[in-house]
Amino acid sequence: MTPVHQTAAAPGSVSAPGAAPVPSATPPVPGADHGAPPAVPPSAAPRGAGPSRLRSVPGRVLVITGAAALALVLLFGALSSSFRTVRNGLDVIGHDAGPQVVATADLYFALSDMDTQVADVLLIGDEHGLGKGRKRALEVYERRRSDAGRAVLQASALAGGDPAERRTVQAVLDGLGRYERLAARAMLLDEQAGHAAGPPPRPVLELYRQATDLMRLELLPMAYNLTLESGTVVRRAHEEQSSALRTGQVLVAGTGILAVGGLAWLQVFLARRFRRVFNPALLVATAIAGTYTLTGFTVLGNEADVLHTAKRDGFDSVLALARARAVGNSMHGDQSRYLLDPERADTYEQTYLDKSQSVLYTPSGNLAAYYKAVDAGVDAYPAKNAFLGLVGQEADLARLPGSEAAIIEVLRRYQEFQQGDYLMRKAGPREAVEELVGRLETRFGAYDAALVKLAGLHKTAFDRAVRSGEEQVEELWFLLPVAMISTAVLIVAGVWPRLSEYR
Amino acid sequence: MRPLGPRAGTAPTTRPAVLRTGAGVPGARRAGAVLAALALLVTGACGSQRPFTSILDQETLVIGVKPDQPGLGLKVGEGRYEGFDVDIATEVARRIGAPKVEFVTVLSSNRQDFIQSGKVGMVVATYSITPVSRSHVTFAGPYYVAHQDTLVRAEDRMEIDNVRDLKGRRLCQAAGSNSWRRVKEERQIAVELVPAATYGECVAKLRDGAVDAVSTDDLILAGFSARAGSALRIINAPFTDERLGIGLRKGDLDGCEAVNRALTAMYQDGTAEKLLKKWFGASSLALTFTVPQFEGCA
Repeated sequence: MTPVHQTAAAPGSVSAPGAAPVPSATPPVPGADHGAPPAVPPSAAPRGAGPSRLRSVPGRVLVITGAAALALVLLFGALSSSFRTVRNGLDVIGHDAGPQVVATADLYFALSDMDTQVADVLLIGDEHGLGKGRKRALEVYERRRSDAGRAVLQASALAGGDPAERRTVQAVLDGLGRYERLAARAMLLDEQAGHAAGPPPRPVLELYRQATDLMRLELLPMAYNLTLESGTVVRRAHEEQSSALRTGQVLVAGTGILAVGGLAWLQVFLARRFRRVFNPALLVATAIAGTYTLTGFTVLGNEADVLHTAKRDGFDSVLALARARAVGNSMHGDQSRYLLDPERADTYEQTYLDKSQSVLYTPSGNLAAYYKAVDAGVDAYPAKNAFLGLVGQEADLARLPGSEAAIIEVLRRYQEFQQGDYLMRKAGPREAVEELVGRLETRFGAYDAALVKLAGLHKTAFDRAVRSGEEQVEELWFLLPVAMISTAVLIVAGVWPRLSEYR
Repeated sequence: MRPLGPRAGTAPTTRPAVLRTGAGVPGARRAGAVLAALALLVTGACGSQRPFTSILDQETLVIGVKPDQPGLGLKVGEGRYEGFDVDIATEVARRIGAPKVEFVTVLSSNRQDFIQSGKVGMVVATYSITPVSRSHVTFAGPYYVAHQDTLVRAEDRMEIDNVRDLKGRRLCQAAGSNSWRRVKEERQIAVELVPAATYGECVAKLRDGAVDAVSTDDLILAGFSARAGSALRIINAPFTDERLGIGLRKGDLDGCEAVNRALTAMYQDGTAEKLLKKWFGASSLALTFTVPQFEGCA
């Protein structure tokens, strides 16, 4: 608010000293001071004697000056409020919701992978050296546990004042403790039972069901919804900013026209009345106002584009890929759970297909048809994109340099991963477990890494757009008070000498 | 994409004006004209961005519910319905601030058309979110994740343990519902499909012996089996997750996000648990009282 008050004060000081002399100075003009002003038109004298002081020359000078000054106040007001809007918008998108998406997606990933690793430990059973091995699964579990703890803290810090979000983060934290206890008991019981690779004994399975239900039905949805909520915040901020920017542009243009017009009017009036071709001070003031109008108008237009780019090429893709990664990890977990719990195998197979379809959609009623459709679609890309879904839609939007290659890589690794799924499902019980914690695990890791790389491209584009938006506004914002003070000084300098000719 | 329109319109009309007036003759009349033009531009820039009214701005929110599903949506009089879906819809409407609510009947076969044509603002009618339905409808929620299970006649209960035992039997196919696909296409179980208009008709056919099984969301089956008493049984072998969403007109993102916030609040303050217990507490279903994973508004 301070800059606005400054502007309000500056023109006030222009007209206030002017206004004070007017009543005392004007009436004596026609009678007393003859000859002193060299260019007083004859008509001024009878008019000044009339009822309205505003008809006198200095009166009119003051009126025009006041009008120009008012238009300038409005112009600078419009500029400063539009710039503030932009800065708030960039703040929300760039430094609040953007990081919140990353933090909550990390949280989802860590939680989901914890549950997958527990399932793997239980599947490996006594055959500790199978595939990646039991020790490795336990190590990853521990690491994800601390990742999850860290991500909860970060999400909680970024949730700020929103009560619903804070409650959700708190609920995740509480649930995480319960989950860890259940998982620890299941793994301990499993170790004591000592079974061959494959589904564990019933008591172990029952404990794991409690744990995985807690994770999949309670904790993961909350983490996922937090990510979505950040998307909502950004979408709303973006819509508000865009319309505020459009309004800002119109206001800046309008007030700019009035200000420049007012100054030009003053210039013409003074030139005619005082027989001077130019008033240099006013000319410079007009130039500054004109420049600020044009630059402000252009920068606001640019900012609208910057916000749009930051959202479309950066944020939206980062969000979609974060969701794809979250869904992908839980889909990978469904493979472990499919082998672990034969009674629920049908459900886990269906949720696996559902999740696959939401990552990369292609019409297919069952898994066998899906594998085929994925093969065909990936081979046809990039000539033709046959896919929808979170990753599929990204494949349509390969706008950034390097993103097409990155998408091809994602699709190829995904195809290999799905082929691995086919091999696992048709293998015998023991081979299936070996496949899962061996080759399939590696393929999933490669697919996930490709996805992270693609998301990285968009994150960089996003950060760059936000930064460039901030820099553009920052420059003008910094010079705005200078422009305001200098125009005020120049107007005084241009008008004051003319007025003093009437003293 | 629409926001591009007004912005593209603003730039060319305003920019030349700056140059013209800056260089030319000023005048009060011109200033008035400029102000008038500005007023037009501002109103134009703030105009609506979608070709229809969001559910948040509708005078009367028309909600489509099922007329024939006991426990979920059941017509009990002219314009009066009862059930879990109806209670969820009422609560959501209240929380998003709908001034007036009206319920109408939708069926699985016509709910998508009703949404697309704007006949209803919102559909809460055991509407499963699938990739296909999602491309025509914006889904808020799911407000609950149900599981597909199977209803059979009590005398067949011993022979049918899970969905795979339906092989070679007659399965009812309710118009507009995709539950049969889960059996015949996804599970690839060789069943004979017998078409019916609604699940109410399916259950009647099951009693008459015209079909051997009705397979769909357990919440739907729970309502029917409670009415049928001992004649029909749920086999209690759930084999899918069905995400029941609240259907909105495609692109009503403001409405969708508001509904999601309402649902989150309903789960956080225990309203959802109360409603679930009210309608399904007596059944043997394992209920979940925490907020489901949302679909994301698109």
